[in-house]
Amino acid sequence: MSKVVEISPTTRHEGHTKLVMKVNDEGIIERGDWVSITPVRGIEKLALGKTMDQVPKISSRVCGICPIAHTLAGVEAMEGSIRCEIPRDAKLLRIVLQCANRLHSHALHNILTLPDMYLPGTDTKINPFSPEEPVRSVAKRIQKLREIGQTIGEISGGEAIHPSNPRVGGMFKACTPRAVQKMYDLAKEGLPLAIEHMEFMIAVLRNYQNRDWSEVGGKQIPIPKDLGYHDQGCMAAHPMYASTNLDENPGWDPERWTDVRPWDWYMGEVEISLADPSYPIGGTTPVGSKANPQMEACTGVPLYDGCPVEVGPRARLVTFKNFDEKGTIGQQIARQMEYPDCFYTIMKALEEYNPSGKVVADYIPQGDGSLGWAANEAPRGCDVHLAKVKDGRVQYYELLVPTTWNFPTCSRALTGAPWQLAEVIMRGYDPCVSCATHMIVVDDDKRIVAQKLIQ
Amino acid sequence: MGTELGKYKSCVSARSTNKEILKRSQDGGIVTQLFAYALEEGIIDGAIVAGPGDEPYRPRPFIATTVDELMSARGTKYNISPNVSWIKEATRSYGLDKVGIVGTPCQMQAVRKGQLYPFGWRDVDDKIALAIGIFCMENFPYQSIKQLVEDHAGVSMQSVKKMDIGKGKFWVYTERGATVQLPLKVTHKYEQPGCHVCLDYVANLADVSTGSVGSPDGWSTVFVRTKNGDDIWGKAIAAGCFETKPIDQVKPGLELVSKLANEKISKNQKTVEARATFGVNKALRNPYIKP
Repeated sequence: MSKVVEISPTTRHEGHTKLVMKVNDEGIIERGDWVSITPVRGIEKLALGKTMDQVPKISSRVCGICPIAHTLAGVEAMEGSIRCEIPRDAKLLRIVLQCANRLHSHALHNILTLPDMYLPGTDTKINPFSPEEPVRSVAKRIQKLREIGQTIGEISGGEAIHPSNPRVGGMFKACTPRAVQKMYDLAKEGLPLAIEHMEFMIAVLRNYQNRDWSEVGGKQIPIPKDLGYHDQGCMAAHPMYASTNLDENPGWDPERWTDVRPWDWYMGEVEISLADPSYPIGGTTPVGSKANPQMEACTGVPLYDGCPVEVGPRARLVTFKNFDEKGTIGQQIARQMEYPDCFYTIMKALEEYNPSGKVVADYIPQGDGSLGWAANEAPRGCDVHLAKVKDGRVQYYELLVPTTWNFPTCSRALTGAPWQLAEVIMRGYDPCVSCATHMIVVDDDKRIVAQKLIQ
Repeated sequence: MGTELGKYKSCVSARSTNKEILKRSQDGGIVTQLFAYALEEGIIDGAIVAGPGDEPYRPRPFIATTVDELMSARGTKYNISPNVSWIKEATRSYGLDKVGIVGTPCQMQAVRKGQLYPFGWRDVDDKIALAIGIFCMENFPYQSIKQLVEDHAGVSMQSVKKMDIGKGKFWVYTERGATVQLPLKVTHKYEQPGCHVCLDYVANLADVSTGSVGSPDGWSTVFVRTKNGDDIWGKAIAAGCFETKPIDQVKPGLELVSKLANEKISKNQKTVEARATFGVNKALRNPYIKP
């Protein structure tokens, strides 16, 4: 006899979500729905009619953790639509900005996820706010990595949160030789820290993988060996940066994308029949409450080749580097493995960068309404923006954001886990729910079939 | 009033010992010399100064990172130069860690406000290493200065070597040696209206402020105000950058500075107060009080 338990709100991720789970008598999830309940802000709708220069600056404000992804994907979708090739040195600055943001974002996610983990060999969970060693120096290292990431982003991108430098056609400002040297020095300082930190994180994650149980709310919860496994595919457009429709061999294909409505994908109305007041901190939803994921979900369900897919660091490594681990720990390990590459890519780009080079295209077409898209590999996965620009104005704009892709995939990955570990599985995706929340659904013929709240 | 000169640790009359700087400097070459010293000593990585613009005597603020670039910004341009507009960019694509900035009293106010209330000024507040203020009675839009020089003084802008407001006159010197003077009364209607509510004459909020009034021609009056300013000024003196004289041994000295500061503040204070009853039963905004 299955029961329904709900964790609302979920914590230690960006945005506002809940988990509605049908569980068996042992508390093992039979079917879980992870639902965004972040209010829809309707970026895509309000972009219509605005200038192509303005819209990426608006979509940057979708999220303050990964604004770089939305700015660059937005700008490059516009450039894809108007068919504008940007100068090489502008591209290099964008790559530096991209890597710097990924660095800070992964480090930030460590803070969110470490409290689930144990100090290797002990039964002590990690509290990143603890003033005691060894945790204190780990927290300091994370802060240093983030500071380096944000500073490099600030110099190359104009601003660490909502970068001001990118523009349609390239960048507003070239970096001076001094600025390049400063970024290079910071990268050199950060690289050994990143490697040290990656090794620490992987040791912590392997230790979790070898454990039989994890303590949640005073109870020992068994950790299944296949925690977070799912049978959906992976999708990634590029190992580090992005792909657009201007590429010779694009890494993403709009023809393979469709959307379904949440009411095709999520459970209908259920009544909560299991509650645990000891679930940290504040308990789960009381028995007798109603939940309706179909109606409450604030995201569309994008499909690739008709299936939900996983995007993110693991998807990138699976697609481009034959990474073969699955599940929550596989995702977390893949995320840590991206640290050194961020620094190597920054250094390589800076070596190639010419401070006296041009950073704005000589000619910026105004667009004829053709479709352009850019698939930016955000810290959390493939962030696709699609746009049609005519006479400098946006006629159509669509965001397919990493966590939007991951919502249905993660929901399926909950099956088979004790419900108390559902949040651990969810955090493996590094959710960014403000990013994910949007609500335009298209059918197989790319017609809009559902628009919620934003009419 | 007694507060018209702001807080300061010391006040001297000074000029640069560098003849190259003095060749084109407005007065004693204080700003150029102090920035050049700070740049060479690594106290600053660059300085925001008012360089030459697209038209003669139209300033264009830019970030100077060499002494040569500093030299191009010598001389007063009596119209608006939005120096603070570069302050964030200096810490971004220029990658500066220690920024110098020169400006009028209002621009020093902007810098200090940005340091205390950094609204959209992330990572700028702790990177301002040296703020040099220049005395300012009032400023003009470019069109005003053009009209004063070309119409009232009858001199083409291209031929101007130096402009100066001093001794109650607006002076225009040409490259070929002519001098024209206009009574200040003529210039009043061309002033920028925003200057009429300004209550600061000698850049009270700068690290070091400097101007011509109080010192003889070719010399500047210098107020050393902050701990940072005192430190840098002391080192520059020790390095032989400046000749100085005690301010009480020069004519006209601080008495005139005080007199002009008082005149500016009391005149403008009246303007500020008049805004409160500008309309019938309604006022114009006063930025010095809470809304």
